[in-house]
Amino acid sequence: MWISLLIAHGLAAFMLLGAVTHQALGVWLPARSNAATFVNRLRAVPPTSYVNAIVVLFLATAILGGIIYTNYRIGARLTLERGRFWKTFGAFELKEHIVTIGLAILPAYWYFWRAPLHKEYARTRAMLTTVLAFVVWWGFLVGHLANNVRGLGT
Amino acid sequence: MRIAPSYPVFTVTFAVVFSVVYVFAVEYNWALFSYAPATGTWGPLTATAAAGPTMFWYGWIATAAIAAGIVAGIASLVPESLAKWVWPGLAWAVPVAVLIAFGYLLSGYFLR
Repeated sequence: MWISLLIAHGLAAFMLLGAVTHQALGVWLPARSNAATFVNRLRAVPPTSYVNAIVVLFLATAILGGIIYTNYRIGARLTLERGRFWKTFGAFELKEHIVTIGLAILPAYWYFWRAPLHKEYARTRAMLTTVLAFVVWWGFLVGHLANNVRGLGT
Repeated sequence: MRIAPSYPVFTVTFAVVFSVVYVFAVEYNWALFSYAPATGTWGPLTATAAAGPTMFWYGWIATAAIAAGIVAGIASLVPESLAKWVWPGLAWAVPVAVLIAFGYLLSGYFLR
């Protein structure tokens, strides 16, 4: 069951990573030409279209991660400690707090991205997206790193 | 869906109070409850597990969420004339400051 949950957590995180990265690119580097290049199409996405998906995926990923965390505490965490993988250990400790801060900003993120978008909140929207993108990238990379140390199902 | 005019004040206050209370909850272990993953049992406040490690993370989140919900609920009652002075940027600036604080608190792991 734990492996199934871990895979579901990873897949949800992967979709979330794509959505929030698209939105961050659309916010900070919007497409300025109609050139049909891959990068231009990546930047041309309307950032508002990702908001609900990001909120739902963030909650789903966090809940799944919260459940798996119980198993991590009695398994993988001990491996990290015994192997003295302190940087990975610390990065994972940081992940738990960073994701929690992501939960704290989620209501504000949802509100400020609601249509109609108010121009005076443009900077707030951009920064909330940036913080959320940082949270998701950190969570994804560190989760992947910790999983590599311990190994899936070992 | 119609959103109450007080909702932006609620969300900004929630983000600020949650972040600040959470960092204090972690530092001073203000957990509302604890969990023992080895035995699957819950305990009140900072009760330690009978066997294996004790998890306080859920309890810290609960403490911060309840405190933030109460304070944000009260803040959302302020008149609109006062609410407009609340800088929306606090919703990201304070959480970023708290993230930096966590980086500092856990820096020992990266300096070994």
